Amino acid sequence: MASAFRTSALRTAASAFKTCARPALAAPKIAFLKPQPRIAAFHTSKSLSILPPGRQVIEGTINDAAPVPESNPSHGSYHWTFERLVSVGLIPLTIAPFALGSVSPVTDAVLGAAVVIHSYIGFESSIIDYIPGRKHPTAKKVFMWILKGSTVLVLVGLYEFETNDVGITEAVKRVWKA
Amino acid sequence: MFSNTTFRTASRLSSRQVSPLLKSTSVRATSSSFPAQTRSAGTTSENVTQDQAHSILAAQRKLRPISPHLSIYQPQLTWYLSILNRITGVALSGGIYVFALAYLAAPTFGLHLESATIAAAFGSLPVAAKVGIKAAVALPFTFHSWNGIRHLLWDTGKALDIKGVYRTGYVVLGLTTLSTVYLAFM
Repeated sequence: MASAFRTSALRTAASAFKTCARPALAAPKIAFLKPQPRIAAFHTSKSLSILPPGRQVIEGTINDAAPVPESNPSHGSYHWTFERLVSVGLIPLTIAPFALGSVSPVTDAVLGAAVVIHSYIGFESSIIDYIPGRKHPTAKKVFMWILKGSTVLVLVGLYEFETNDVGITEAVKRVWKA
Repeated sequence: MFSNTTFRTASRLSSRQVSPLLKSTSVRATSSSFPAQTRSAGTTSENVTQDQAHSILAAQRKLRPISPHLSIYQPQLTWYLSILNRITGVALSGGIYVFALAYLAAPTFGLHLESATIAAAFGSLPVAAKVGIKAAVALPFTFHSWNGIRHLLWDTGKALDIKGVYRTGYVVLGLTTLSTVYLAFM
């Protein structure tokens, strides 16, 4: 309804007002006279210091090239293939309880172990991505050890749950149907 | 270049009288009549030890502009689904970790986290709360599952062009919606 009143001439005028009139009205004239302090030329976006700059790490001399890490298939292709195998394996393990209604305790335990391995890989990747070891070596080590320790405790906890309770699949089913 | 020429001309004429034309030129070129050479700290490479050079570089680095934050990027299906995959994965795994650790610690703190207790507590909730909680669990679970299959499809080298990425992205969103609604009302 309102669009019927918005002729092309009005739209042009409105957009002209938006682009020209607004900044002039919003910013006081004194802003154009005073030189604005800028850290870097051509840096036009507002600076938002979310975190303080971390430790500045300079390895070797200033002009050294970055070292290329030694290639090792267990850090690259084998690791990648193992991750995919776990991910692919999770598909039938997730579908089986839905398709069969219930699964054996062994299948349930395998599902639990695969989920924990998959979670461990995911958490590890997140730590590597968001806590760079070059800048924050101690924080990265601390987080990695927290992950390793909690993963062992989680495996113990799931073992307890599998042996003393009804198992993951059956528990989810009972809560979902409650 | 320009100020150098001015400087040379000005020094040649310095003993004599300065023409008004030159005066105005030199004013335009520099603020003072003789351009002063400035050198920043980083360029004095002589007589600087390795430690000093490092501290100068470290100080300079802190003044560099940081890369723009996420809010300047256009919202696109590609990176939205990518970060959602990680967020849902961390949320699901975090939930499993918290439950397993709490189950292990439950006897020490006198908590009851047996499946029967949880099922009884969940069963006593009103229907709206049940559907809401189920949807809140089913949404990240189904999204991460469908998007995981999408990732495995990419790993085989299929659907890796822009068209494929968008088509599979919309398929994942559709399947996530359907399966979340189904599981929430199950």
